[in-house]
Amino acid sequence: MAIVIALALAVITLAVAHSGADAASPWRHAYHVPVVVAALRYRNGGTLAALAAVFLYAPFVLPALEREGATPAVLEGLLTFALLLGVGVLSAALAGGVRRQRARYETLATVQRALDGDTPIDLAVARLRACLQGRLDATVGLAVHDGTRLVVAGGGRVARGSAVAHVLVSGAPLFVPDAGGRGALRRCFVAPLGGRGGVVGALAIERAGDIAADERRWLPVLAAHVGLALENARLAARQRRFADELAEKVAAATRRVVEMDRMKSEFVAIASHELRTPLTALQGFSELLAMRRFAPAELARIATIMRAETERLGRIVNDFLDLARLERGLAPPLRLARVDVGALIADAVEVLQRARTTHHFEVDCADGLPPLDADPDALDRVVKNLVSNAVKYSPAGSRVRVAARAQEAPPAVEITVEDEGPGIAEADRTRIFEPYYRTTAGAKAAGGAGLGLAVVKSLIDAHGGTIRADNVAPHGTRMTLILPAVP
Amino acid sequence: MRALDEPLPRARPGLLHGTPVAALVGLAAVWAMAMATLPEAAVRVAGLAVAHGALLGTALAWTSTGGRRDRWAPLEAGLVLGGAAACASLHPWGSLAYVAVPAWLAWRRGAWLGARAWQSAPAVAGGALFGLVLGAHLLVNTALTFGYRVRTGPLVELAGWWAYDLGANVLAAEAFFRAALFERAYRRWAFAPAVALATGAAVLRYLADPLLPRSLGMAAGATFYIALLGAGSCWFFARTGSLGPSLAAATVFFGAYRLLAPR
Repeated sequence: MAIVIALALAVITLAVAHSGADAASPWRHAYHVPVVVAALRYRNGGTLAALAAVFLYAPFVLPALEREGATPAVLEGLLTFALLLGVGVLSAALAGGVRRQRARYETLATVQRALDGDTPIDLAVARLRACLQGRLDATVGLAVHDGTRLVVAGGGRVARGSAVAHVLVSGAPLFVPDAGGRGALRRCFVAPLGGRGGVVGALAIERAGDIAADERRWLPVLAAHVGLALENARLAARQRRFADELAEKVAAATRRVVEMDRMKSEFVAIASHELRTPLTALQGFSELLAMRRFAPAELARIATIMRAETERLGRIVNDFLDLARLERGLAPPLRLARVDVGALIADAVEVLQRARTTHHFEVDCADGLPPLDADPDALDRVVKNLVSNAVKYSPAGSRVRVAARAQEAPPAVEITVEDEGPGIAEADRTRIFEPYYRTTAGAKAAGGAGLGLAVVKSLIDAHGGTIRADNVAPHGTRMTLILPAVP
Repeated sequence: MRALDEPLPRARPGLLHGTPVAALVGLAAVWAMAMATLPEAAVRVAGLAVAHGALLGTALAWTSTGGRRDRWAPLEAGLVLGGAAACASLHPWGSLAYVAVPAWLAWRRGAWLGARAWQSAPAVAGGALFGLVLGAHLLVNTALTFGYRVRTGPLVELAGWWAYDLGANVLAAEAFFRAALFERAYRRWAFAPAVALATGAAVLRYLADPLLPRSLGMAAGATFYIALLGAGSCWFFARTGSLGPSLAAATVFFGAYRLLAPR
């Protein structure tokens, strides 16, 4: 197109020369066509084409001015100079304005596209810088606060006292007509990036050449847009993260519900079996008593068995009731009284020792244990449950040790129940206090509904105490519970 | 990027900061003494040395990086130019002594005439082409307007003028109006006002030149061409930060100008 414009100017000049080289040749008006075309086609093209036209037309006008003075024809020629220059400059300005506006809209769209998608902030800022650098025809720098740090693109850092540092502090645009250094002059303009919480960064452009006043008015608008786009990108990324986390939590909860459902089904089966065992014994003995007559000694033995089975049945039912309260989020009811821990442990172990003769029991309670403000029945259940478990999950002939000692600050009593069983796997140790949970090894080794330790924990919690399970060397399990003492 | 990596530059001093007043006063005193005491030919030599020396020396002083010696650059430049002008007045081929001036300037300010000035070959070629277009237009226009012819000799005279332009006229003008005045103005203002100042000052300098024929037509032509040449040279200087393209443009243009043979 540039060649066509140049050819058009040359042809018009030839036409002017051919028609008598008159200063007021009608062909002079034709110069306006390539001037306007150049203005529409090229940046500053209108001005340059107008200058070229004046340059080409001047040899027809100026000699006439020199020869004939200011005749009407010469004045028309001079007026044509002014008109050509005016049309060239004006159409260049108008076309330039339209071109700039279009470029600005495209720049805003490019900014949006650059920040689209779930991109980490460093990459997003680098991508944004690259696209702005192409659009603004300048060296571009960006500094963006990422909540915790300043992400910089276009330079290593934000130096103290630099133009960007000034803008980050002041929040106002800054124009530096001379950025310093040798060689071609470089100007820079820095605009703050706006966000919800004020200034979130700065956009700097640096160019060897002018940064026009019009551009300096527009750059803060672009910076505000970039700031908002960055903010939106950040919020969108956060929302996506939140949605992912929520989905993960829902999935985990669903898995847990499924697991609980499975454990409950398992529990129903086990509980039915647990209930069935004493019921079968009671049913069998009661039928025997109805059908036959027994010697007094035999009668006493049967009565003892039936009482033991009844107690077992009662314990299971109590556990169910406690579990029901636990699942409703209620603490077990406590009837608090002053309790002598040493005596309570001794009594509980003695009862169990009479029933379970397969293990060796050791009781080691320190002297002068402080009294507890606790429910004696609940505490008795706790100790018996732990000792029963120790017996259940350790081989016959092994030792079960129950100890108690005082703690001073804060005043408390530590009770430990230790066995010589296989211990508890690391993965199971945190879950054994959950309702229905039974370790794989435990399920194989002994029966039970998986409620005992859950009930124990709820009772200990209700007393304001703690319980934990540890393995002891070389093998065995130690259950440690700490209960606050009366100060 | 300086806006990020470097502290803001300190505020620029005033437009006339660093003017070597003492040296300029010294040059003026020399010229006054020459006017009062010397014959006309010697006064012409002194006037040429003083005028171009003042421009060249002031340009050196304004662009100085702090050397005390640059404060006396106008006297130094005046001496070199005076020597060349004296040679030119003594012998027809003596004008070739003006070549000593660029050599001296290259030694004093390598950045202006050293390798850096010519490293952008396309820009230098563009400057030369610009000067050629202006010069050709000048030849055509003056031939049509005034009926001037193009002369091709005598060689000694043409060589003398070309040497004068190369060593004094063009060099002093480009050093002062582009590398010093325009550079200072452009560091403060936008391109258009900086060009207006530098080009306006250059036009005034040529209009005040006693070597320019005193006629309205010549004054109008000089204004037209010097303004275009000045604006174009400022554009080249702003784009490249180098004096090479504008030196090439002005040298070629004045080379063409010297080919004019008035009727």
